[in-house]
Amino acid sequence: MNRTHGFLLALLIGGSAVGAQIQNPAGPPADAAGLGPVVSGTDYSGSWRPNQLVLESQTAAGDLADYGGIPLNDAARLYALSWPASRQTVRQHQCMGYVTPYFWYAPANYRIWEERDPFTQRLIAWRFYGQIAQGDRTVYMDGRPHPPAYAPHTFAGFSTGTYQGNTLTVETTHLKRGWIKANGVPQSDAATVEEHFIRHGDNITMLAVIDDPVYLTEPLSKASMLVRMAKDPDAWLYPCDDSEQILGRKSDVVPNHLFGQNPYVREYANNKKVPLLGALGGVDTVYPDLGNNLSDAAAAERVANARMMPSGPPAVSRAPDPTPRDGEIQTWRVSGDVYLLTGDGANIAVQVGPQGAFIVDAGSGKLADKVVAAIARLSAKPVQFIVNTTFRPDHTGGNAKLQTAGADPSLTGTFFSMQFQGAGRAATIISQLNTQVRMIDQKLPAPPSDTFVSDRRRKYYNGEAVEIFPMRNATTDGDSIVHFRRADVIVTGDIFTTTEYPHIDTKLGGSVQGEIEGLNFILDRTVYVHDEDGGTMIVPGHGRVTDEWDVADYRDMLVIVRDRVQALIKTGATLQQVLAARPTADYDVRYGATSGPWTTDMFVEAVYTSLKNPPTTGRVK
Amino acid sequence: MKRAFVFVVLCSLLLVPDPSTAHHSFTATYDTAKTVSIEGKVVQFLLRNPHSFLHVSVTKDGQEQVWNVEWAAAGQLSGTIANSIKPGDPVVVTGNPSRDPAEMRLRMVNVKRTSDGANWGFTAGQFVN
Repeated sequence: MNRTHGFLLALLIGGSAVGAQIQNPAGPPADAAGLGPVVSGTDYSGSWRPNQLVLESQTAAGDLADYGGIPLNDAARLYALSWPASRQTVRQHQCMGYVTPYFWYAPANYRIWEERDPFTQRLIAWRFYGQIAQGDRTVYMDGRPHPPAYAPHTFAGFSTGTYQGNTLTVETTHLKRGWIKANGVPQSDAATVEEHFIRHGDNITMLAVIDDPVYLTEPLSKASMLVRMAKDPDAWLYPCDDSEQILGRKSDVVPNHLFGQNPYVREYANNKKVPLLGALGGVDTVYPDLGNNLSDAAAAERVANARMMPSGPPAVSRAPDPTPRDGEIQTWRVSGDVYLLTGDGANIAVQVGPQGAFIVDAGSGKLADKVVAAIARLSAKPVQFIVNTTFRPDHTGGNAKLQTAGADPSLTGTFFSMQFQGAGRAATIISQLNTQVRMIDQKLPAPPSDTFVSDRRRKYYNGEAVEIFPMRNATTDGDSIVHFRRADVIVTGDIFTTTEYPHIDTKLGGSVQGEIEGLNFILDRTVYVHDEDGGTMIVPGHGRVTDEWDVADYRDMLVIVRDRVQALIKTGATLQQVLAARPTADYDVRYGATSGPWTTDMFVEAVYTSLKNPPTTGRVK
Repeated sequence: MKRAFVFVVLCSLLLVPDPSTAHHSFTATYDTAKTVSIEGKVVQFLLRNPHSFLHVSVTKDGQEQVWNVEWAAAGQLSGTIANSIKPGDPVVVTGNPSRDPAEMRLRMVNVKRTSDGANWGFTAGQFVN
């Protein structure tokens, strides 16, 4: 807890005693194992609206380039400055959900109610519903743990609550990338939020503290107030349905301002007659020290100008890696009969059913025995098929072990065995032809035996259609994605990860434009349930399970970086000059690396190289 | 001292009103101090939330341009308007231009169908207030 938070919380809790007549004392401690703790506390049920003064002073939208009072870091400022309002017309942005605490700043109605076990009447959860974007949050009060790091994130996040005296304290994790302020100030998917709700009669005071290791230099405290409505407003819906708002615009266009070229950067500062340095935000705009920095107007202007461009050493990702490193294989049900296995290199997807397991990628092989055991816990049937989305050893190292897990003597000598090499003796490994060629060239074990060069390989397996699509010139010329159509799960291979920049190998036919086209191909097949949440689920090559939103966010990042590098190329910039310009400066805190097998500089070089010399074909060489 | 300052800032934030209260700001996208008019034919009318769009084909210097006119939410436009505007209708649209001159976008102020004089918009007395 930072000093700002602590002071405000003490102030608010102290004040809560004034209106405590309707509140109940905290409940007894937990008992009755298996039923969850008995809790009772303040009742927040009812229909609420934001206090008008809060709405007027803390609009969620905000003016362009008004970041004052937000302890954002340099990357977040650059991110915000590159954001134009027209970004909202991109299909996946039109119905973007609200993360908390942004959730509480909509000019609309809120409903709060409790969920109780019908038999014991124990409090299971508080529910928060916001009319705008129809946000629907569940705050579990039954002591359940938060999901693992490789579980999906949502705009609502995953929340648990406790009573601290008369205050309801809520901890939220697993949030998607959203807005701190919808003028471009981002809140990352690594952010966690602590909220405190204090009821004073017909008012609720809410204090939220955002802890965002990616975009904030210290926690940000935000306060809001809700006013209870005596009568249900009967206005709760906000159905959103994205559309082709800008007719004819190509899917690889994401509006953005190049570094240093935001034409509105001084607008707020000039209109409000505040120093630009203050408007651009940062931790120094939170504390009165800012006054000292502003005493020399010319110096302040120089600092402000410097903050509009990348500076300092390249940053590395501050987002936690969701991949378990405990030497065990973890399993997560993604959707339908499709599961994620994580812990041995690249992600493994497993579909199970009466015909046996169908696997996408085999991991590095270091924990192959444990992978086989994990699959056996899902299905007693042999592994029948393995798809390799790429040749890379962290995806194919487990091929040999998993392939033998498919041995099924009952199939030997049947018609089935004549269709696929090794059928009955081992699982059949499928890939597009280039993957097989790479594996043979590099003498990698157990290359695929069932290959294709067409635009789709299809199977109907375990009661669902499975489609394999080759992605031309994405990270290499040998990528594929797999779509389990009934479960509606897309396994992306390395085209999409939640952990790093795409590993584009230009020597093997990879390109940034092919990457963008691959991601847009995925986005052309996804459908969300509500406001960019749920629906088609995504298993990335590395990282956590997710859905359309994160793929779109990743696509946006690639388009924006491509545009910056392309603009530099047009000026005649060399690779060294492009690297020095740091075209990824606002994303390095999320995806960057300065060491290891895939650094930011390697990624930028791949973008530069593939734009200067685009691959001529993704077909078999 | 710093804590006191934070408290003062918080209080001042609660007390000083700001006119921009929408969940996202039209003024960030459009120059609401200006209006321009375009004349052309309706390509399609998208009755959608969060905002409806009217696409209008405009011929300028022999070249066809499609303008994207942002309108109100579906609930405000359903009924009379949704059932009236058809592809091919000749219209004059007046709206606030995008702040980016390269974008062919308007925020709807008024649309008039020139074939019969039907008129819709945000002006008092019109279908959408």
